[in-house]
Amino acid sequence: MDNPNLCGICGKPAAVRLDNPQRRLCADHFMKDAEERVFKAIDAENLINDGDRVLVGLSGGKDSTALILILSEYVKSHPDVKLIAVTIDEGIAEYREDTIKAAERLVEHTGVEHKVISFTELFGDTLDRLVADRKNLACSICGVLRRRSLTEAARRYSADRIATGHNLDDEAQSVLMNMLRGDRPSLIQDTSLGYEGHFVPRIKPLAVLSEKEIVTYIMLKGFYTPLPECPYATTALRMDARKIIGILEEKYPGTKLNIVKFRNGIREHVPCMPKGKPGTCRICGELTSGDVCMVCKVLNRDR
Amino acid sequence: MKITLPDKIIIERKIQPSVIRDILKSLDINPSSVIVAKNGNIVPDDVIIEDADELKIIAFAHGG
Repeated sequence: MDNPNLCGICGKPAAVRLDNPQRRLCADHFMKDAEERVFKAIDAENLINDGDRVLVGLSGGKDSTALILILSEYVKSHPDVKLIAVTIDEGIAEYREDTIKAAERLVEHTGVEHKVISFTELFGDTLDRLVADRKNLACSICGVLRRRSLTEAARRYSADRIATGHNLDDEAQSVLMNMLRGDRPSLIQDTSLGYEGHFVPRIKPLAVLSEKEIVTYIMLKGFYTPLPECPYATTALRMDARKIIGILEEKYPGTKLNIVKFRNGIREHVPCMPKGKPGTCRICGELTSGDVCMVCKVLNRDR
Repeated sequence: MKITLPDKIIIERKIQPSVIRDILKSLDINPSSVIVAKNGNIVPDDVIIEDADELKIIAFAHGG
């Protein structure tokens, strides 16, 4: 079988084989290729502008590890952009402690300013205690509170953008999940636009990289640390979507990218934000489409 | 050949020279969901592996 596994650029043994266009790359050229694809997406979609203060959600897990490493490279050629890493401590025993340590190692390496904000500080208690009698809802409650935590952090540290480590797999899975739930508003909502005076635009610079590429990148960079899985990780639908898309990707390479392209095509033709000024929560005053926001609802403040 | 599975269990298999992805499929592992290392180096899954080599299969946890 004629299969020389060599880097198409330098001729060293290849670590990866990529599609579209097909190429083999050694470790160094793969890391450069991955960084350049993210930089290109940032510039093409105006995700970051000169002078921006970018809040980087840094859990310490694999995706945010890649995000801080790649954005740290990006700011080398964009010195007017300032990064500030924020770790949300939800208060999940025997899980978050390890990832916070990983986050601390990363900010030490990259030199990025780092802040930690806890659910206890913002919402009065740990996630463990907030969901003690409703563990089956822990993932969705945590998601609502984490989003608010990042919004609060952006306000506190005067950030212009919130960058999160969502990858191509996450995005493709979300599209399929929204379809399976019949949730068109979530499918077409584009949070990268922001809402002037209300919420800070959220950007996903790693959405051009697959989960496999991200893990390969941080392994080759020497920052891969197997961390414990969140004890509340029981999102059955996402796990099924992940498995189905994985099977399709294996059989039809490019499936993930095509799913996301399809969603982006829909967004171009359908208004993704309600017209007029959004409402505010009657309890906390934050942006909401209803009378009471989701944070106040999950904290039972409306009862 | 020594194979380290995603759950860190090590198995021994006698093999003829084979493409890694065929070995993954024989273990019921989707090649797109794992990273493989041949003798300690990350390689594409269409690389050929022989009986004297070591194969490590790394799965990545969801989330992060």
